[in-house]
Amino acid sequence: MPKVFVTGLGFITSIGNDRAGVTQSLRELRHGMELYAPFQKPDVPIKVAAPVRGFKVESPDPEDWTYPSAYRIRRDVLRSLSPNALFAYCAMQQAIKDAALNEADVSNEETGLYAASGGSPSLLARLVNQMHTQGVMRCPPLGIVASISGTVQFNLVAHFKIRGASTGFSSACASSSHAMGFAYDEIVLGRQSRMFVIGAEDGNVETILPFAGMRALSASVDPATASRPFDVARDGFVGTGGATVLVLESESEVNRRGVTPYCEVAGWGQASDGHNVAISHPEGTGLRVAMERALRACGLTTKDVDYVNAHATSTPIGDVSEVKALRAVLGAEASRVAVSSTKALTGHGLSLAGAMESGFCAIALRDGFTPGSAHITQLDPACAGLNIVRTTEAVGPRVVLNNSSGFGGANVCIVLRRA
Amino acid sequence: MPDVVPSSGAPHNRAEAAPKPFTPEDEAAVRDSLKRCSPATIEAALLFRRTQDAAHLPVIVLGVIERFVESELRPKLKEGDDDLRLVEDLGVDSLTMMEIVMLVEEVLQMQTNNDELRNLRTVGDVKTFIDCKIRGLPLPKPTKFIPVEQIVAVMPVQPPFLFINEAQVGSAGAQGKYKITGQEFFLQGHFKNNPVLPASIMLEALGQLAVLYLLEGSIAEPGRTVDSTKIFFTSCEGVRCHRVCRPGDVLTLSVRPKRAKMPLATFEGSIRVGQEKAAVAEEITLTFAYAEEIPAPVPAPEAPPVVDVVRTPVAAAPNLAAAVSA
Repeated sequence: MPKVFVTGLGFITSIGNDRAGVTQSLRELRHGMELYAPFQKPDVPIKVAAPVRGFKVESPDPEDWTYPSAYRIRRDVLRSLSPNALFAYCAMQQAIKDAALNEADVSNEETGLYAASGGSPSLLARLVNQMHTQGVMRCPPLGIVASISGTVQFNLVAHFKIRGASTGFSSACASSSHAMGFAYDEIVLGRQSRMFVIGAEDGNVETILPFAGMRALSASVDPATASRPFDVARDGFVGTGGATVLVLESESEVNRRGVTPYCEVAGWGQASDGHNVAISHPEGTGLRVAMERALRACGLTTKDVDYVNAHATSTPIGDVSEVKALRAVLGAEASRVAVSSTKALTGHGLSLAGAMESGFCAIALRDGFTPGSAHITQLDPACAGLNIVRTTEAVGPRVVLNNSSGFGGANVCIVLRRA
Repeated sequence: MPDVVPSSGAPHNRAEAAPKPFTPEDEAAVRDSLKRCSPATIEAALLFRRTQDAAHLPVIVLGVIERFVESELRPKLKEGDDDLRLVEDLGVDSLTMMEIVMLVEEVLQMQTNNDELRNLRTVGDVKTFIDCKIRGLPLPKPTKFIPVEQIVAVMPVQPPFLFINEAQVGSAGAQGKYKITGQEFFLQGHFKNNPVLPASIMLEALGQLAVLYLLEGSIAEPGRTVDSTKIFFTSCEGVRCHRVCRPGDVLTLSVRPKRAKMPLATFEGSIRVGQEKAAVAEEITLTFAYAEEIPAPVPAPEAPPVVDVVRTPVAAAPNLAAAVSA
């Protein structure tokens, strides 16, 4: 089978707005949580979030936004961006530079873009409200483009002049892993030679707080420990936003351009729980099948796996489901294979999560370290038998699994291998 | 469908309606809406809202357009050229046009519909449009794009002596393009081994555009058409050439009527190549005559004084509906 490689990364995340910052945070287990100002109201029972820094995007008018001076964005580009499309735009510029792509490499029929974003609920709410209060003809002409869930690919495909395949994926917290998996397929099938994979979320009041009604968010008031996957006292996830862009390329493109990839995308698998609209299967059956399929697809066994970047979001039910799936898949290897959830540092990025964490794994594979699972004071006894690493270890994995699970019981496992 | 809206009845003119007092809240809203416009724009808008004096409109409209034009293109607006094209010269696409009109609507408290916007091609068109809406006057005949086949069909002059490839004709004037191909027969001798478009041909091209303008009927008396076989050159004044034009150059021709009274019509004209001035003519005067009158139904007394035309689909015009693909 043709090989696919990760050759470029771009990050706007709660733990860093570039690869260097992200790498340092992963190595030093520095988290991105804070007492999020918009939550500090008596009627909001959630206090902690992990917003991206360096961007001010609260205004309904994008021309009021501020963003790092390294990026200069024209008004006619800015007007159709949501906050998460802005993050993606910036991360895209990083990834293009990181992969050393020129304009022709980016804009041709062999280069496509798959994205995942929950859209911009805040912009959509404002748009609908404006329509009702001020009239249908008084809405910003590009309000739809900025706010619905395709906002990232609409904007980036147009502004970066992408001419190959493009679409968006909508499987909630598995979305950008789906994007990555199908982008891999495009290259393996020979339809494209290069794919941009993007996950992005606003990470604001409107994307995070609706999960409070589901009782899925941590009510902790301590940013340092609010997100603690696998800890016995975990009480929900911490919301985050941002964007991650990965550049996937065929082996022939890697050779033609003479670039050093971060890692190989060895394959992927997916399966569904068929169980509940929002709750993961108690035995993690869908995730188990997804992992088994992924390994089978790339001809690997659990003996080859060194590290699993778990989906584990720090919810009581979800983490246990994944633990059971991992034990079932890893079997005799369970006590050896390192497992961690980097969501302890970043919070849960929803549609962003899969791509962001595949990006982290790509760094770990190239730089030779295993990110730890932070903030565990007392490991949940349910995790018995697994090797959950609590500190970042200077051991470079050879094969990594990256898990993602979304609403509807969708589960995706991406397999990355040292290049 | 008539292009013109009768002035009576339609509540276009806010001054005619019982004017609401202009409150401090209104002022704050205007200032907020125009916060990215020049102070002069804001002042003009406030004065307009207090007085409904249409004299302030050009400043407001230009100020709003400027706010949506990328900064590197703004100096063009300062030249005060009403012929500046929104799409080609200012990079204003149909969606930006909507943003411009929505802001103007908000600030001036007026309403427009998509159909009306479709015909706005130049800064001058926008100014005229807003002015008519506010004053409750009928909208001018929309600028009409005329492709070469149609030009050939209506013009008395024909190739190889026709020097217009395409034209836009509105009530305020006409614009045309002519690309010097290098195959023009007279370039063989003008000059020897050095093809330069003769100044007389530049003047001829402007005259031809003026002929096209007359034939499009903007200044004709209602119900009468200009006879294409009875238009002739009479005189010109103040003709100056500023730039040598050679094969490959695309001439942008522009004429505007200065005065017209049967049998004379006087125009001013100019030619640009890109942004460079190539030639000006302060006055070009043509004689014309109407075609023999055919008994026609007397126009209804309430009919507006602007000739209605069947609107032809305009290929190059920004099509608002087409801007939205999903």
